[in-house]
Amino acid sequence: MVAGPISVPLEVYRYRPGVDRAPTYQRYTLDAAPHTPLLSLLLRIRAETDPTLSLRYSCRSSICGSCAMRINSRSRLACETPVGPEIERHGRIVVEPMASQPVVRDLVVDQSPFWQRYNAIEPHLKVDPRHPMPEGQPNPMTPAEVERFHDTPRCIACAACYSACPAVAADPAFPGPMALAKLYRFVVDPRDAAHQDRLVRIQTEGLWLCLRCHLCTEACPKNVRPSERIRDLKEMAIAAQGATEHGSRHAVGFKENLRTAGTLHESRLVRQTFGVAGMLGQLPQGLRIWRKKPEVLHRPKPIEGLEELEKIYDALDAQEKEGGR
Amino acid sequence: MKFAYYPGCVAKETGRELDMATRWVARALGIELVEFPKFACCGSGFVDEANEVLNVAINARNLAIAEAAGLDLLTICSTCQGMLTLAKLRMNDPVVRAKVDGALRPLGITYRGSSDVTHLLRVLVEKVGLPTIRARVKRPLTGMKVGAFYGCHLLRPADEMAWESPEEPHAFEDLLAVLGAEPVQYRGRVMCCGFPVQFVKPETAGRVAGQQILDAKQHGAHAMATPCPLCHISLDAYQGPAAKLVGQPLDMPIFHLPQVVALAFGATPEEIGLSRHLVPTAPALAKIVARP
Repeated sequence: MVAGPISVPLEVYRYRPGVDRAPTYQRYTLDAAPHTPLLSLLLRIRAETDPTLSLRYSCRSSICGSCAMRINSRSRLACETPVGPEIERHGRIVVEPMASQPVVRDLVVDQSPFWQRYNAIEPHLKVDPRHPMPEGQPNPMTPAEVERFHDTPRCIACAACYSACPAVAADPAFPGPMALAKLYRFVVDPRDAAHQDRLVRIQTEGLWLCLRCHLCTEACPKNVRPSERIRDLKEMAIAAQGATEHGSRHAVGFKENLRTAGTLHESRLVRQTFGVAGMLGQLPQGLRIWRKKPEVLHRPKPIEGLEELEKIYDALDAQEKEGGR
Repeated sequence: MKFAYYPGCVAKETGRELDMATRWVARALGIELVEFPKFACCGSGFVDEANEVLNVAINARNLAIAEAAGLDLLTICSTCQGMLTLAKLRMNDPVVRAKVDGALRPLGITYRGSSDVTHLLRVLVEKVGLPTIRARVKRPLTGMKVGAFYGCHLLRPADEMAWESPEEPHAFEDLLAVLGAEPVQYRGRVMCCGFPVQFVKPETAGRVAGQQILDAKQHGAHAMATPCPLCHISLDAYQGPAAKLVGQPLDMPIFHLPQVVALAFGATPEEIGLSRHLVPTAPALAKIVARP
C-alpha cells in the first residue's frame, strides 16, 4: 500500500556570498509521499516556486555523489533521503550545504579544500616504472587480493565523510576520511609500487589526527567504512616504520604500558609519547590536574594474573613471526 | 541484579569520582557489583591502533573472566563498552578467533562469547527501568538544564554497537528527564570529545572539545553529563585549554553519568567526589530549584 501524502516543512539555507549580508533559512512547505527523496522536493521548489535555488545534483540514484548536503545536521545524499523519517524524527527538514567547504551559493560548496587535501597524499596508482603494466592486456588480481580492498573501491567521492568529520573541521593537516580510505586501497593494491613510501609519509601527513569517532563510517552512503581502514593504516604504518610520531608513540606506548601493569600508568604514557622534553609543554595543565587528581602521578597496582597477559603478547608475537616466515 | 563490574582504568585512578558515584548508585538500586582484580585495561582504542588481534585477545581474556563466573559485564565507560563489544564481534571472524584461541588456550582460558557487555546507562534505562528510578528520586534536579554527551563508542559504528540511533539517541535524555533535569537538545551530544588526539596534537583535541561545549552552552545547558570518563577528561580536565582555543570562556560543569543519578537520589557532593572536578560544579547545582 502506498502511503498518502504528508506535509513537509523545509528550512533551506540560502546565501549568496558577497551579495547577502548573512545566510538565511527560507521556509517552504510541500505535500509529498513519505518515501519521496528530499532531492525531488528541492527540484520541485526550483521548478515550481523559486528557480534561483542553487544545488548540485546529477544521477538521482546514489551513484554520482553530487547531491551530498547536511540534512537535519547529517551529511548525506539528498537523493537517498526519504522525507518521511526526517519529519517523523524532527518535525521539519533543515537543509544546509556541506561543512568544512566554503559556500558558493545556497547549497553549492566549493570543493577545492576537499580535493586539495585529497591530492596532497596522492591516493592514486603508482606503478614501478621498471615493471610497467602489460600494455593492452589485463593485469588480473586474485580474489584474495581484491578482498583486501574491503569496500574502499565503492567510494563515489560525495564528500559526506569529509563534511561529517570533526578532525577535518578542527585541523587543516588532516587529509580527511575519504583520502585516507583511498590511500589504504593503494597500500594494499598489489600493482602499486609505493606501499612503503606511502606508509612512511602518512605518519607525518595527518594519519594520527583521526579521532576514530566513526562519524565518517556513519555518513558514508556506500559503507566504505573509512574509520576502519584508517585503523588498518595505523597498524600498517607502525609495522612498516615503527612509532615515529606522537600518535604512533602513544599507541605503541599504550600497548607496552599494558604489558607491564595490565592497566594504564598515565604519567609514564605521557612521557613515552612526548619524551621528557616534550612533557614540559604538558606541565602547566598537568599540575592543575594533579592538584585535583593526585593519582595522575601514581604508579598503578598491576592487575592480578599479569603473567597471563605477558604470555598472550608473546604468543601473538610468535604467531606473527611464524606467519611472516 | 548482579554484574561483573568492569570499571576501566580511568575510574580506578584519575576518574575515581566516577567509581565512587557508580558504587553509590549501585547500592541505592541494589545492583551487586562483583569485582575481578584480574581484569586488564580494554586498550582504550590505542592498542587497537597498534595491534588489532592483540586488542581482541586482551578483551577476550577479560570476557572469559566474567564468563567463568557466569556473569554479564557492566561497563561505565563508552570506550570500554566499545572495545569489549568489538572484541566479541571480531571473535566471530574465524581467522581472528584461531589466532586469539591459540594465545589463550595454553593458559587454560576459554572464550565462549556467553556474557553480555552492557553500559551502566543502558542498565539504568532498560534493566532497572525508568519507573524504578523515578521512584528513587529524592531531590529532583528541577531547574538544571543538562546536555547529555554520549561518547562515540557507545553509539558508533551503529551496526556493531547495535543500540540506539547514532544520530538521534534518547536514552540519556530520557534518564535526565526522570531525574527532574531538563535535557538540552544539541548536535554536539553525538559528536566527538577530541580525546583520542589529546596526546597527538592537544590544540586539535581542544578545538574539538571546545566546539561541543560551546554548542551545549549556546543551547542553554548549565552543565553537561557523560557516560565516558575519557570524554570527561577532555571536557573537564582539559576545558581550560579548550576555552582558550575557541576564544571564549566556557565554564561548563561536566558530570559523570552516575553522579547526576546519585545527586537526584540524595547523595552529597562529597560522596560522589564533585570536588575532584577541575571545573566547579556548584554553579550548576545552584540552578536546582529547592522543593517548596
